[in-house]
Amino acid sequence: MFRSLKNTLLVSIVGATLFVSSSVYAGEKYSFGKTATSEEIAGWDIDIRPDGKGLPDGGGSVEDGEVLYEQLCATCHGLFGEGEARWPVLAGGVGTLTEERPTKTVGSYWPYASTLYDYIRRAMPFTAPRSLTNEQTYQLTAYVLYLNELVDEDFVLTHENLAQIEMPNKDGFFIDPRPDVKNIRCMKDCDDPSKMKIEGTLKGITPVGHFIEGADAPAASHEGQEDLEREKAHARKAALTGEEVQTEAAPEAVKMSDKAIAGEDTFDNACKVCHGSGIAGSPKLGDIEAWAPRVKQDLAVLVEHAIKGFSGASGIMPPKGGRVDLSDQQVEEAVYYMVESSK
Amino acid sequence: MSKIIKRPGTRELMAQLAKESDGLSINERRDFLRKGMMALGGGAATMVAGTTMAQGTNLPPMEPSWGKMLGHGVVEFPYGQPSKYESHVVRRTVPWLTAESISSISMSPLQDLKGIITPNGLVFERYHAGVPQINPEEHRLMVHGLVDRPIIFTMDDLMRFPSVSQIKFIECPANGGMEWKGAQMEALQFTHGMLSCCEWTGVPLRTLLEEVGVQTEGKWILAEGADGAHMSRSIPLEKALDDTLVVYAQNGEMLRPEQGYPLRLINPGWEGNTSIKWLRRLEVGDKPWYHREETSKYTDLMEDGRARKFTFVQETNSVITSPCPENPIKNSGVIEIEGVAWSGRGKIKQVDVSFDGGISWTPAKLKGLVLSKALTRFSLVTKWDGQPWLLQARAIDETGYVQPTLKQLREIRGGNSIYHKNSIHTWKVAANGEVTNVQIS
Repeated sequence: MFRSLKNTLLVSIVGATLFVSSSVYAGEKYSFGKTATSEEIAGWDIDIRPDGKGLPDGGGSVEDGEVLYEQLCATCHGLFGEGEARWPVLAGGVGTLTEERPTKTVGSYWPYASTLYDYIRRAMPFTAPRSLTNEQTYQLTAYVLYLNELVDEDFVLTHENLAQIEMPNKDGFFIDPRPDVKNIRCMKDCDDPSKMKIEGTLKGITPVGHFIEGADAPAASHEGQEDLEREKAHARKAALTGEEVQTEAAPEAVKMSDKAIAGEDTFDNACKVCHGSGIAGSPKLGDIEAWAPRVKQDLAVLVEHAIKGFSGASGIMPPKGGRVDLSDQQVEEAVYYMVESSK
Repeated sequence: MSKIIKRPGTRELMAQLAKESDGLSINERRDFLRKGMMALGGGAATMVAGTTMAQGTNLPPMEPSWGKMLGHGVVEFPYGQPSKYESHVVRRTVPWLTAESISSISMSPLQDLKGIITPNGLVFERYHAGVPQINPEEHRLMVHGLVDRPIIFTMDDLMRFPSVSQIKFIECPANGGMEWKGAQMEALQFTHGMLSCCEWTGVPLRTLLEEVGVQTEGKWILAEGADGAHMSRSIPLEKALDDTLVVYAQNGEMLRPEQGYPLRLINPGWEGNTSIKWLRRLEVGDKPWYHREETSKYTDLMEDGRARKFTFVQETNSVITSPCPENPIKNSGVIEIEGVAWSGRGKIKQVDVSFDGGISWTPAKLKGLVLSKALTRFSLVTKWDGQPWLLQARAIDETGYVQPTLKQLREIRGGNSIYHKNSIHTWKVAANGEVTNVQIS
């Protein structure tokens, strides 16, 4: 931002000659679009480079990062960065890059600490990107570095020391040397048939239901797979107990309160990311079984948990699901919507 | 109403309706006829449902039911959809690959596609924060950094530039990545479906860079999306000035939301991840940024624990799409072996087919358009009489690069690189025509 401002000043002082000669090439100008102001650029220019270019002034401590991490990140990434389900593992794995199943983490694989600040700033938390302050971003970056034993527990990360942090795998990357394989266009006797080994696939891991009837295979979508797994679980339960399990709320039977109806929008653009599919241990919308124990308690308790956050047996509900921009009322309405859709 | 349905022929019914509506005002008459037609359609449909139960009634010498009734009129479906009998032609995913569907990938049904163009609704999807719903009037592209004049473009501004339309493939570098250590997927859609090809319309990035005036220190460009992931990649200026496109349309219509509506980058021949969707920002800099998608991801880990970075090019590749596991051979006799080939370095020059697992090869024909960095269809007409085949295709591009064997790739790269597996693929054809995925080592 400062550079472009400086250039503009230079241009106005030195004149048009510099303006033209500073370009790599001189093409015809259409003069479409408007000149971006430094304020407009500052709002969107969020990227950070390994040399620290782009870092905002400020800092954050490991200590503050721990509190925030447990609220916002642990649900998916695990309390120690070990990763829940198939969510990314953040810590550990050092020395595994040559193993048959390497664990690529911030500490074992990432070449630069700046990438961590940049990524948290642009994309995290998953449910509420661009909701963190610069200070919170420093705190979380510091804490993830701490989880990787790259900084001490009393460390304070700042715009001045971030670029100095040396990552263990900083020299682990090299420029693409391809084309690296040289095959030739052989037409006859290209291989020895007596030495050929033919191996087939592992059965049962590919969604093939759309062309192999009755195949015992996964579904071809996440939603389909969840339904499939639930059906199987219910069938097992029914076989054991002889009881039929009611699975989905019948939509026509649901008569919602005004509060619940008002909560639908909030659900769609905030809660659905987890409660739409039941990820990270969250009860899925319409899943009566999953909601039953929650519905039994006082609704006010449920609302309070949703607003203030809650650590349960199946997972962690971050305060407002990480969407701190939501009002308490919006969260309450969304809770009503979910509860009334799931009983 | 009941009187109408009892009547046998459509033409008579139309005449009857017209007669009965005589004397009504124009509006009343139109309304009356419309309702009558609807009843007619409903009646006919009931009849069809009843008669198709019997076998063969739509076959010669019988007149098919659809030839004895009326279909729907114009604009019944303002945006047309495929026949209901094609409902199996859809994108699919392998659910265990990713934690959920918002940051995930789906595959195009290559087994059902013809020619080289992927229909817009079937182009494979890759999202990191789901599909944003962007209002084009509020969408902006900011171009700034080491430039003489940083500019913010509206969609209208961008569409004022002289446009170009080019047919280019787009492929995820992880296409086939599940197969590095062994054959895994039992279907073509999942072995090769992270691949699509469209006609893209937009402005060469070069034009926009000339507009802002790149300064001499400018060597790299950061492209960034407007989605929740704010997906970002560093792109060398050399590529940006060569053939990178900033596009707003695909296959004749505005981009689909899944494909970056209203604006995306297309880096022809390069890994799909660099073709940033929902493009909102381009920053010119003197060095690459080393963001998550060019360090943690999209780097290729070698056996010695070191990794290749900036592995941009999608090298020459090919696959037989018919037969394949989804399209087994149903009849002995003449058969057309068909497939697609593509190269991130230019045009496909030749495709050869092997029936014996790569011991001997026969040249196939290229058919239709042969374009640089686009899918190219190949074909070989032959005969099959129940003999087992180990069917392979091998593509050669205009640079002379010959698609490698998996053995050759593994010898150099090991089994952990995930990305850029472009090796010769093998389908095993059994005596009953069934096709399965195998690997030869």
